Amino acid sequence: MKESVIIKNVSKNYKMFSSKKEQLLELLYLKPKVPTFKALNTISMTVFEGDIVALVGINGSGKSTLSNLIGNITKPSSGEIIRNGEVSVIAINAGLNNELTGLENIEFKCLLMGYSKKKIKEITPDIVKFSELGDFIYQPVKKYSSGMKSKLGFAISVTINPDIIVIDEALSVGDQTFTNKSLRKMEEFKEQGKTIFFVSHNLGQVRNFCTKAAWIEGGQLKAFGEVNEILNQYEAFIKEYKTWSEQQKETYRQELLNNRLVK
Amino acid sequence: MYIYGLVKEQYKNKYLLLKLALFQIKSDNKNNLLGVVWEFLNPLIQIMMYWFVFGLGVRGNASIEGVPFVYWMLAGIVMWFFVNAAILEGTRSIYQRYHTVSKMNFPLSVLPGYIVMSKLYIHIVMLSVILIIFWFGGYLPSIYYIQLVYFIAFTYLFSFAVALLASTLAAIVRDVHLLVQSALRVLFFVSPILWLPNLLPESIQKLIQLNPFYYIASGYRASLLYNDWYIVTHWQLTLYNIALVLVLLIIGSSIHFKMRDRFADYV
Repeated sequence: MKESVIIKNVSKNYKMFSSKKEQLLELLYLKPKVPTFKALNTISMTVFEGDIVALVGINGSGKSTLSNLIGNITKPSSGEIIRNGEVSVIAINAGLNNELTGLENIEFKCLLMGYSKKKIKEITPDIVKFSELGDFIYQPVKKYSSGMKSKLGFAISVTINPDIIVIDEALSVGDQTFTNKSLRKMEEFKEQGKTIFFVSHNLGQVRNFCTKAAWIEGGQLKAFGEVNEILNQYEAFIKEYKTWSEQQKETYRQELLNNRLVK
Repeated sequence: MYIYGLVKEQYKNKYLLLKLALFQIKSDNKNNLLGVVWEFLNPLIQIMMYWFVFGLGVRGNASIEGVPFVYWMLAGIVMWFFVNAAILEGTRSIYQRYHTVSKMNFPLSVLPGYIVMSKLYIHIVMLSVILIIFWFGGYLPSIYYIQLVYFIAFTYLFSFAVALLASTLAAIVRDVHLLVQSALRVLFFVSPILWLPNLLPESIQKLIQLNPFYYIASGYRASLLYNDWYIVTHWQLTLYNIALVLVLLIIGSSIHFKMRDRFADYV
C-alpha cells in the first residue's frame, strides 16, 4: 500500500489576542505578551491510499483545525504534512455567489477551485444532473432554499476528482434521498481507492463508512487505528462522560483547556 | 524576489482573472433594473455636473490650452473613473472575499487582480464612447493612439500595484480602506482633472507633477487631443512614474506574500 498523507509532528498554535493593538504590535515584531493556544500539539500519523479516516472527538478538540491543515487551508505552526496527490476540501457552502444563477455558480466555484476551462465544460453537465435542481439551475442562488443551496454546493464539490478528500461537514444536506445519494457517491470514492478524511459526530455513519479512526482530545492524538477498535474506546469514554455531573464535566473541560493554554 | 512570484501567479491564472472579472460585473449589476447601464449612467451624471460647475460656472465655458473644456475634462476624467473605482474596490477585495475562497487553494493576489480587471473592462467601453464623441468633435484617430495603449496599460499597472498593497494592509487593519478613500478624494482635487494648476507658484506646480495622476491625465490628453509624444517629451516623468509603480509592486508583493498565510487570523 502506498502512503497518501503523512503528518509529521504537526502543531498549530493560535495567539489569543485580546485587542487590535496587540495584533498590530505582533505584526511589527514587537512581541506583546499574549497567551498562546495550542490547537494541535505534535500530531503524527500516516495514512495510506484507500484509507477512510474518521476524525472523532468532543467539540473543540481540534478536529476542524486538523482537517483544515490536511486540506492545506491553514499552515502548521511547526511540523510537516506530505500529501501524495491532489487534495480537495468539501466545503458545501463556500464559494457560492448569491447574485449569480446556479449554472453560473458552477463555473464560478470551479474557477475558484482552480479548474481549467476545458475541465469545467466537461463536468458541468454531471454537476447539473447530480444537483437535482431542474430548472432552478437558471435561477439566482439567492432564491434557493438552504437545502437547494447545499445540494448545489455538494454536487460541485464531489463531481471533481481529487485523490484526497476532506469532509468537515455532515453528509446530511437536503432530504433523506439526497443524503443516501451523497453517501453512495462517497462509497464510489472509497471503491476507487481514494483517501478520505471524515469529521463526524454521527458514530453510526462513521462505523459503516470509515476504515480507520483518529481520536483527538485536547489538541492531541489520543488514539489512532482500526475504526472499530478506536470507536469502542471512544464510545466507552462518551458513555462515562455522560454519567458525570455537570460539575465534573466542567472541571474536565477546564483541565484540557488549561493544558493547551500557554501564558 | 516576491515580485517575480506575483507576476507568475497573475500570468498563470490569467483565464481565471479575466473570467472572474466578467462575473464581477454581472453580479454587481444583477439587482438593478437597468443593469450594466448604471456603470455608465452614474459617471455621465457626474460629468454633467462637473461640466456645469467647473466648465460653465467657473470658467464661463472658456477653452483650456486650445481645447474646449468639455473635451479636455473628458479625456482626464475617464481615467479617473477607472483608477478611483479600481483602487477603492480593490482595497476591499481581500477582506470582503476571503471567506468565499478560504476553503480552496485560491491564489490570493488574483483577488485585487480581477477587481481591477473588471474596472478595466468598463473603462475600455467608456473610453470607446468618448473616442466617438471626440471624432464628432473633430479630434480624429491618429498615430498617437499607440501612446494611449501605453497609458491604459500603465494605469492598469498603477491601479493594480496600489490595490495589491492596500488590499493586503486592509485585510489586517480595516481602517486602511478609509485612509485610501480620503487620499483619493484629495488626489482628485490636486490633480489636473477639472483644472490646470498653471496659476500656482512654480514650486507647487513641480510638487503636483509628482502625483502620478498628473502624468496619466496629461498622457491621455496628449494622445487624444494634443497629438504629442508625451512619453518622450516628458521622459523624466515617464521614468519617475515607472520607477514609482515598480517600487509599489515590490513593496506590495513582499508584504502580500509574507502576510497572506496569516490573513485567516485577521479577517
